[in-house]
Amino acid sequence: MTPIRANGAIRNGLIAFAFLGYLILIGIPGRIGGAALPVLALVAALFFWVRLRRDASGTDGSFPQTASPTGKPGWEIGAPGHTVSQEQVMPLPGAGGALAIRSGLLAGITTGLLIAIVSFAFASAIGSGASIQPVLDKIVPVNVAALIGVSPGQIANDEVPTLRYLLLVLIFTAAGLLAALAVVAARVRNPQKAPVARLSKSLDSQLYRTVARFTGILLPFLLLAYIAWLGIPGVSAFGSNEGTVRLLLTLIATGSGLFALRLVRPGREQNVVAPLLALGALTMPFILDQFQNSVMGLVFIFVMMGLGLNIVVGYAGLLDLGYVAFFAIGAYTYAFLSAPFSSPYISSLLNLLAISPEIPLLGYWTALPVAMLTAAIGGILLGIPVLRLRGDYLAIVTLGFGEIIRLFMLNLGELTNGPRGILEISQPGLFGLAPQSFSSGFLSSQGWIFLLALISSALVAFVAIRLNDSRLGRAWFAMQEDEDVAEATGVHLVRTKLLAFAIGATFAGMAGQLYASRQINIFPENFSLFVSIDALALIIVGGIGSPAGIVLGALALKGLPEVLRGVDEYRIVTFAALLVIMMIVRPAGILPSARRRTQVAAPDEQALTPGAEEPVAKELDGDTARQAQAASPQSEAVRDKEDQ
Amino acid sequence: MAPSRLTAQVAGVNGKTALRFLLRAFGAAILVLVIWRVTTVGLAEGYPASFWISQALNGLVLGGVYALVALGYTLVYGILFMINFAHGEVMMIGGIAGFFALQFSQARGWLEGPWPVVVVALLLIMLFGMAASVLIGVTLERLAYRPLRQAPRLVPLISAIGASLFLQYSVLLIFGVSPHSYRKPALISGGMRMGDVFIPYTGAIIFVTSILLMLALYFIIQRTKLGRAMRAVAEDRATASLMGVDVNAVIVITFMLGSALAGAAGVMLGFHNTVVKFNSGFVPGLKAFTAAVLGGIGNIPGAMFGALILGLIEAIGPSALGIPTEYKDVIAFTLLVLILIFRPSGLFGEVLSEKKA
Repeated sequence: MTPIRANGAIRNGLIAFAFLGYLILIGIPGRIGGAALPVLALVAALFFWVRLRRDASGTDGSFPQTASPTGKPGWEIGAPGHTVSQEQVMPLPGAGGALAIRSGLLAGITTGLLIAIVSFAFASAIGSGASIQPVLDKIVPVNVAALIGVSPGQIANDEVPTLRYLLLVLIFTAAGLLAALAVVAARVRNPQKAPVARLSKSLDSQLYRTVARFTGILLPFLLLAYIAWLGIPGVSAFGSNEGTVRLLLTLIATGSGLFALRLVRPGREQNVVAPLLALGALTMPFILDQFQNSVMGLVFIFVMMGLGLNIVVGYAGLLDLGYVAFFAIGAYTYAFLSAPFSSPYISSLLNLLAISPEIPLLGYWTALPVAMLTAAIGGILLGIPVLRLRGDYLAIVTLGFGEIIRLFMLNLGELTNGPRGILEISQPGLFGLAPQSFSSGFLSSQGWIFLLALISSALVAFVAIRLNDSRLGRAWFAMQEDEDVAEATGVHLVRTKLLAFAIGATFAGMAGQLYASRQINIFPENFSLFVSIDALALIIVGGIGSPAGIVLGALALKGLPEVLRGVDEYRIVTFAALLVIMMIVRPAGILPSARRRTQVAAPDEQALTPGAEEPVAKELDGDTARQAQAASPQSEAVRDKEDQ
Repeated sequence: MAPSRLTAQVAGVNGKTALRFLLRAFGAAILVLVIWRVTTVGLAEGYPASFWISQALNGLVLGGVYALVALGYTLVYGILFMINFAHGEVMMIGGIAGFFALQFSQARGWLEGPWPVVVVALLLIMLFGMAASVLIGVTLERLAYRPLRQAPRLVPLISAIGASLFLQYSVLLIFGVSPHSYRKPALISGGMRMGDVFIPYTGAIIFVTSILLMLALYFIIQRTKLGRAMRAVAEDRATASLMGVDVNAVIVITFMLGSALAGAAGVMLGFHNTVVKFNSGFVPGLKAFTAAVLGGIGNIPGAMFGALILGLIEAIGPSALGIPTEYKDVIAFTLLVLILIFRPSGLFGEVLSEKKA
């Protein structure tokens, strides 16, 4: 056991102060208003709790510093060596408990004092009329005021009661104490196991399992029925927040549908539940309104993007940061073919082909193969130069390609209308029916887009899964593992790589076309680097290589921000932080793919890494095992096998 | 089984040959296109020699700044074999910090005083920017990279992308979207005229400063005990640690050195471009990476010369090819692709892109 020392506690306090200072700087307290202090104190308490628990158990969340045989780590995510070297969690004896409480108090006081001093300094500077910096003048008064719990005017007039600062220190001290008590209480009650593990063990009976399974399977249907009921005119359960709440419920329903699909047993049960789930998904566009449909449409467009990028990154192991290029190619191709804007290049091409430039030229369905083909050709053309590159280099070069395409769209005014974009792109119809004729009554126009996105992403997912199981999929997998060995066993590297790029690009082209008709007007700034980053982030968060994980990632990354509209400006910062944290805590994603899990549990690879078997041996060891599972996909693979 | 194995071997050989052939053809096509454009369009425009000279000088100034950033990439890559994707943002934070230091000293009238005061003030501004960058760089290493040191190589790269976005958008949230404009003090806002060529003082100062900083770095690495430790860790981390080198300390110091150079570059780029904002580190960061690859990544003199060459190409390229200057980024990225195809080792380095990457 690592004893908790005073300097460790002060360090915890300093780190908490730095983190809270960051939150204050980006303007969180000003946004929360009156409740700022309790919320920040709660955040601090959570942080202290994590640190104290870690200090008490003597483990840290980092990768073990074991040397791999070659000395240089390999390429794949979730590879062996990803296990946290776990020390046995020691119960805190009585003295340890006192230590923990003392250390929690010390950390809380440090944080509270520092925040109080800094906010006092700022408040008195503003009160005495000094201008700090033009930029800080805008953000500091509001946030400091919210933190101390007074109005900005009171700060400006220098009439803040001193008692407020004392309260600040006291509240953070209480947060430290709370965290320490939580840690000590968990140890005292049951020194070996954390409450969650105990609970799950006591409920680990057959009955519990069955009940949990059927609840999980029924949940999406219940939620869907509830959403449908909420959609009936006249029913209002949430007042002015109705739309947002329904969107949140929709997201949860879709996510729970994915889990339900995982819960069913293969065989007859699956044959009944899976079509029902599909039917439920297909009814969603009809029961949601315009706003929810537009968000869900975007989510499923990004599911298609994610599935396509997953082929390149997850299956073939080629890290592509310029994926937005193909999305843009698909969108612009459809825009050229269907919008009134006609560029001189296109019209001269049409004159050459002796087609009269009637507008709009092609409908959605006739344009679909064209857009897919153009994107595929783009994929091959951009793929050829990077055939020989691997890893970091490939990432940077493809990123450069993405930027080049964007620069071209921005600057080739004659072809793409530059920053003014292409306007009035036509909507998809059906069998000659104009889109307006059937998208008025029972299906909103965004609902129609959502329905299309849903069906297309289901098709794309089907193709992707079948491809992964095909000979080509195995070739991709072999290539991802080791290019030289794959080539020696007869994988044609050029063909395999270009096929990955081309198929990935085709899916992106489909997504781009649907996106263009969803947006109606498209501009080059719709196709910035962030589309690539979003697509990459969603497959990483969801679980690389796993289609269900991708849907989950898209729901979390594209759907949730719409629910949290009020804090939209914090979206990118949150996801950036999430990327880093995901990489440290759970590099294989929330729902890792089966192949990755089996891949890391392969016996010959286990032999290579000392310590790889430890988490398995301690499988049901309560706290240890849970931490190990959080960090290593390996023990999870074992657990999943046991479940089946 | 035998025939299939034979086919496999043949296919493999064919694969490699086809690959090589495709790449050669692609590169050759681009080279022919470039030569054709330069001879028929660029040279036919008939610019005077002074135009080319001033463009080249401009390119050298930019190259000097890129070199400082590229050294950070190269140093980190040499030791950790990872691309510090957030290095451009470390540079940007140096620029932002420098902006505030500049405002601070302007508010106190230091920059209108006699010239020694102005010089000291400018030095202090740069030191402040460097300090801010060092702080961010070390924090980055501690939080985002150190826990992943033994992880597969895709993992730290994604973590670095996350860190890069995080830094950019934190700066956006804290300091706003609008660019912060550097106001040059009167002492360095002019320039000198040599014949038809105009050399701004800032350009000359930036170039000289970056050369001095690079020499300092070269001295540290080649002539000090610390430099020897860094080289040893780059060579073989395990053996170096057996020889009594504190590997963690060396890695931290490497990040500090690289970040300090980036911070200086950020301040100087602020003076050069006159503005700095939350995303102004991104494209220069990519360019600097291109420069590092051009010189052979992991190779310190390579990064310096690669950056100077890249700066020259970027400044002269658009006029020589007769295309709008908006495409200078396209030229830089195309150059990156061409180098990686024809000489992945860079101009001065060993082959890395396939072996170690």
